[in-house]
Amino acid sequence: MQISMVKKIKADGSPCRKCQEVEDRLKAAGLTDRIDKVIIADERDPESEGMNLAALHKVDRAPFFIVEEEGKAPRIYTIYMRFLKEVLNTEVSEEEQLRDILDAAPDIDYI
Amino acid sequence: MFSLDTGRLHAETYRFIEQVRNHYKISIDVLSPDKDALEKFVREKGLYSFYQDGHKECCGIRKVVPLRNKLATLDAWITGQRKDQSPGTRADVPVVEKDMAFSTADHVLIKFNPLSYWSSAQVWQYIRENDVPFNELHNRGFISIGCEPCTRPVLPNQHEREGRWWWEEATMKECGLHAGNLQQKAG
Repeated sequence: MQISMVKKIKADGSPCRKCQEVEDRLKAAGLTDRIDKVIIADERDPESEGMNLAALHKVDRAPFFIVEEEGKAPRIYTIYMRFLKEVLNTEVSEEEQLRDILDAAPDIDYI
Repeated sequence: MFSLDTGRLHAETYRFIEQVRNHYKISIDVLSPDKDALEKFVREKGLYSFYQDGHKECCGIRKVVPLRNKLATLDAWITGQRKDQSPGTRADVPVVEKDMAFSTADHVLIKFNPLSYWSSAQVWQYIRENDVPFNELHNRGFISIGCEPCTRPVLPNQHEREGRWWWEEATMKECGLHAGNLQQKAG
């Protein structure tokens, strides 16, 4: 299994708030080494690898995770807590999971 | 057809749900929050914690959980979301998409957004021409209508989203991957 994390660099060169938060949470949980590759989606460079991958997988939020396994279609996770639960088999609280759903899909707010 | 009753909607919105039910002679599943989770939340945080802590915890319990539970029983759902409702993020709203928020490893959920390319003016034209029921709050300056404590009317030329959670900073925009770039790539 190959796990890639795509994170966004904003126009001013700084990481996006959610990407930084997710990286900090991965580090605090000791899970950083489970991520094989970190790919940058650079807002200043539409040709950056992360921007290409976002377009390919039709993802419009950062960060997101790509899980690749031989013989299977890549799985895309835009919700960090779901990624933790389904891929890294980590227990997550209901509250954290709900917060991540709203962070990753803010339009749900308006349903 | 289903609707989410957070328990904090305007009286006008409850009347509107009844109006729709009677006008179209359809049954509507009105979904409520989990009683135990809601009671625990209110006991610990009170009834207005969102003004201090932000709205997401409250929305999570009152809206997202019932929605998630309902969607887990479906293969697809239809929303009224439109592209012009998301200022700043430039997020695309495809007419048909895999629902990334509620699909799981075992369950793919498809989401239809048939009004995606409609403007607000087109929606209102359709409403008038076809006598479609609408929430009476629209007559009083409300455009985007949610829970009563978290919704207010907007002024002329204010975006409809400025009437929702106006006390919070719009920091959520910064994690969007610009649709302009994405469309360029996809094309």
